Amino acid sequence: MSFIEIRQLTKQFRQAVKEPGLAGAVKHLFSQKYVDKTAVAGINLDIEEGETVAYVGPNGAGKSTTIKMLTGILVPSSGTISVGGIDPYRNRMENARTIGAVFGQRTQLWWDIPISETFSLLKDIYEIPEPLYKRNLEQFIELLGMKDFLHLTARRLSLGQRMRADLAAALLHNPRTVYLDEPTIGLDIAVKQRIREFIRASNQERGTTVMLTTHDLGDIEDLCSRLVIIDQGSLIYDGTLAAVKDRFARERVIHFQLEKADLPALREALDRMPKVTAEKLERQHVSLRFDRFHITASEVASAVMRCGEVIDFRIDEPGIEHVIKQVYEGRISLDEQHADKQTAAGTEANRR
Amino acid sequence: MNAWLRLSRSWRAYSSLATRSMQNTLAYRLSYVVNFASSFVLLIAMYALWNAIYAGREELAGMSWAQMKTYLIISFISNSLLSYYSETRISGKILDGSVSADLLKPLDFQKARLAETLGSTVIEGGLTVIITATVLAAASGIFKPDFIHSLLFILSVLASLLVKFGIVYIAGLLCFWSTGSLGIVWARMAVTSLFSGALVPLSFFPSWLEKLSLVLPFQGIVHTPASIYLEEVNVWGALGLLALQCAWVCVLWLCGKLMWSWAVRQITIHGG
Repeated sequence: MSFIEIRQLTKQFRQAVKEPGLAGAVKHLFSQKYVDKTAVAGINLDIEEGETVAYVGPNGAGKSTTIKMLTGILVPSSGTISVGGIDPYRNRMENARTIGAVFGQRTQLWWDIPISETFSLLKDIYEIPEPLYKRNLEQFIELLGMKDFLHLTARRLSLGQRMRADLAAALLHNPRTVYLDEPTIGLDIAVKQRIREFIRASNQERGTTVMLTTHDLGDIEDLCSRLVIIDQGSLIYDGTLAAVKDRFARERVIHFQLEKADLPALREALDRMPKVTAEKLERQHVSLRFDRFHITASEVASAVMRCGEVIDFRIDEPGIEHVIKQVYEGRISLDEQHADKQTAAGTEANRR
Repeated sequence: MNAWLRLSRSWRAYSSLATRSMQNTLAYRLSYVVNFASSFVLLIAMYALWNAIYAGREELAGMSWAQMKTYLIISFISNSLLSYYSETRISGKILDGSVSADLLKPLDFQKARLAETLGSTVIEGGLTVIITATVLAAASGIFKPDFIHSLLFILSVLASLLVKFGIVYIAGLLCFWSTGSLGIVWARMAVTSLFSGALVPLSFFPSWLEKLSLVLPFQGIVHTPASIYLEEVNVWGALGLLALQCAWVCVLWLCGKLMWSWAVRQITIHGG
């Protein structure tokens, strides 16, 4: 049995339908019509202890709903959840002791007392032993750079400071599982880096299981070995980030800065190489697109070097953004069988 | 042994919450001063009003002017024990959705809210009591009860606080059901000040209304402590009133518990 086990998890919300205009509003007073909107539709997911999972999907895909059910603040409509053997909804309090959560849009800090006081309140709430509390607090202050604003009330903090404090507050009691709902939303790159380092450290040192939702693909690349994509309430991908990249980000573009290039000879060489196309072919600048499963970068580079003197070169890898966007838009099916055919077609289309 | 350890630990969590709530209240000291000043103005207005009504009369509904003055001050104390802020905090939590953050904590929602309320009351109510007690001691023509009644009065003020919390808590939870809170908060305030005797002493009511008020929990907020202070009841009577208050505290607490288990289903089923 896995540490977190989700079986056929479904959540439906009831939404009131109001007809437009005043007449509609009056009508609604007497006869309410509802539609059931399915936010999460029969998800199965297994997460092992110590994993870091990115839970990704477009807005309204059901990410936050899933997280809320895992934390026990939403009841599933059907299906079961077990987190370390605890049913989060039935044993909300027991579950709450072993988890930490950050909802990026909302703070859990006390608004009008210094955040250091919030921390000591959490010490009492979670019954954190004094030595552990001291050790964690010192380490968190150091890692998250909180020294300068520890004495301020949450009201006065900037967004970046508040998020760091929220994160520290969620992890102070060494929770076994941490749920982070968009922990880096709206933050500058320096703070993002700090937060990612902090999450990585607590995962590595304490073996904390981390599940995070994000729109920031940097978070995924930096933190998560596993990627789960949800769309319209169903999981459409579950696997490693590297596998997605291998399958959908196989093309690279290599740029050369040249001196004394022999362009006709280069054209000839290109014709002999499979799946290599020229993006740009000038006397001083050559850009070539190639499929790294058919030809290696060094083969391309040596072909170019035979036809001119290379001063400088660099390789562009397509961003994961690009790939995930394609998945959301339904242009790529992550189903194994169709995948290759479709990418091939997509590549064809791109070339034209 | 283990159970005791558990209990003392969880006591620590709630008392720590109460302490933080005191600190929070101190952060709002200016707002407290403004609140206090405005309710003090109201007290003076009520005083002037009743003074005019009593002009040329010895007694109204069995109360002398001296008793009435005292009654006004007692009702002022009972009303100031819980500030507007504490009264609206619970409904506020529900309306702005921050209740979901409370659900993430391993704390009982009702006990946690009580701890917070008591915490801010220590600061706010404490100040009010000191100020009014000074006024009481200095003013002349104000009734002063004997020792036993004073003691019972203090106990009944404490019980009145718990009665008021029970009512505020239940009304706050009603916000899960209606989307606007202001209506519920105002309705609760109006009903409370009418039936508790804060607006007019209950003995001024027509007899059916007075009887109704005496079977409702609201009387425990102002009427009970005032009757004890004014020695309208003897010691045994006062003890009986105290027992009634305590019974209401328990009933309201249990109702609040039931309401919460209903309310928590509303958020957890329909989304926060």
